[in-house]
Amino acid sequence: MPFKAKGDYIIVVEHINKTFANGVKAVVDFTTKIHRGEVVVIIGPSGSGKSTFLRCLNGLEDIDNGSIIIDDIPLNDNEKNRLEIRKEVGMVFQQFNLFPHMIVLDNVNLAQRRVRNKSKAEANAMSMDLLKKVGITDKASNYPSQLSGGQQQRVAIARALAMMPKVMLFDEATSALDPEMIGEVLDVMKDLAREGMTMICVTHEMGFAREVSDRVIFMEDGKIVEVGTAEHFFTAPTEDRTKLFLSQIL
Amino acid sequence: MYRRKTRITMLDVVVTTLLILLTAFIVYRLTMKLNYKWNWSIIPRYLYFFDESEGRWRANVLMQGFYTTLRLTIWSTLLAMFFGFIAGILRTTPRLFNRLVGRSYVELIRNVPPLVLIFIFYFFVSAQIMPLLGVEDFIRSRSPGTQKILGYLFSAPELFTAFLSGMFTIAVFQGAYITEIVRAGIQSLSRGQWEASYALGLSWRQQMTYIILPQALKRVLPPLANEFINTLKYSAIVSVISIQELTFQAMQVMAATYVTIEVWLTVTAIYLVMCMLLSLGVQWLEHRLARSEA
Repeated sequence: MPFKAKGDYIIVVEHINKTFANGVKAVVDFTTKIHRGEVVVIIGPSGSGKSTFLRCLNGLEDIDNGSIIIDDIPLNDNEKNRLEIRKEVGMVFQQFNLFPHMIVLDNVNLAQRRVRNKSKAEANAMSMDLLKKVGITDKASNYPSQLSGGQQQRVAIARALAMMPKVMLFDEATSALDPEMIGEVLDVMKDLAREGMTMICVTHEMGFAREVSDRVIFMEDGKIVEVGTAEHFFTAPTEDRTKLFLSQIL
Repeated sequence: MYRRKTRITMLDVVVTTLLILLTAFIVYRLTMKLNYKWNWSIIPRYLYFFDESEGRWRANVLMQGFYTTLRLTIWSTLLAMFFGFIAGILRTTPRLFNRLVGRSYVELIRNVPPLVLIFIFYFFVSAQIMPLLGVEDFIRSRSPGTQKILGYLFSAPELFTAFLSGMFTIAVFQGAYITEIVRAGIQSLSRGQWEASYALGLSWRQQMTYIILPQALKRVLPPLANEFINTLKYSAIVSVISIQELTFQAMQVMAATYVTIEVWLTVTAIYLVMCMLLSLGVQWLEHRLARSEA
């Protein structure tokens, strides 16, 4: 794995709790710090609170208590702070969530035009660059419904990157894809990791975790069970629960 | 796609034959046995007449009523859309107060018969509020040119307040139905659309404008079109407050001439054609919108 210089902490999460309206405790007393340029992979059984934790990081879920600071901006009730964080944190969803009424190019342009207030020409230029990066230049003027799942997810990545985010969140980005399309999306994610993007990925792709992650967090019932490098996880996990989980999925 | 061939069965033939026979029988009874003197020749005169003093053809009461119906429908549809979209959006916002306002509007209007609403509006808005605002004086103080333009767009000065209250009434109750349609349209979109646009840093207003409403609008077009047609049909109801639209004028003609059935058949035909044109127009629009999404 290429050596990556670690910067200061870009995400500081301290003692956060999240309880849903139905009483389910999704995240329990969760604390972690993430370096600039670090790639963190979160694994764990379904219902363990991985996605909820990720969604707390850009305010899609409100936390009950604790604190989240992203790039020195506290994520709290202050709308200005929240907006700033939403601009700096990109997110890729399991179901892609492209805007079906817009062509691919406009999907990538939208936030640049409306949030960053760029001119159409500037936005177009950047979008085409990004689409080239994810390998979909030839579909720029198609509607999302005309694309395969893998292509749609790559557009979704380009769309998030268009905001030039400092952090990227991947919420099971490959789980809804047909097996033969997982690779093309993972390749884009790996490139991104190698370029030094700070990434937090909820995923079941252990190969990806082993290849690019700096740290793996194993979660269950909203809590961190074990943290370590991918190497540690795949060669010598210490917790019994981790061993059981890994034996089931590997 | 699951599709079955269109077929004609024995049953269809039998039923169709019976229907034709029934129609023939009714027509026979009407023409041969009905104690009614048909007088179709009088109808064209009430549509258009030749003005001797000006030397040209002019619209007579029925056509004037038709134009009033048209104006009434266009303006109340626009206004109803405005009310409906505002209230519909309010009903989907997270703020409790907004939802309360939207909900109260819908429940208040939906649970009162339209006819009763019309009387309320007429005696309250038209007879009390309008004079208070000085609408009629305002119109009358305009230049003849302005009055003429207002006459084309809305109504003649002497009927202006009545027209406004009729328009307002229809708009308010049609707006309530449109509110529910808009709300359903917005809520039918997946949460992912909100989440993706939120994560990109769009403000609520931008999310609504660029992501949610364009998609919701496309989905609710068929029920919305239904409401356009309803607005046209409901415009007949304001005849009870003496707004001189098609139905009111038909009653006048009937009272003056006693050619009841001919007048109502004519009016039926006019409404039918208007509504059918409207639904054709919406069908065309639906096709166009469907094409843009492939």
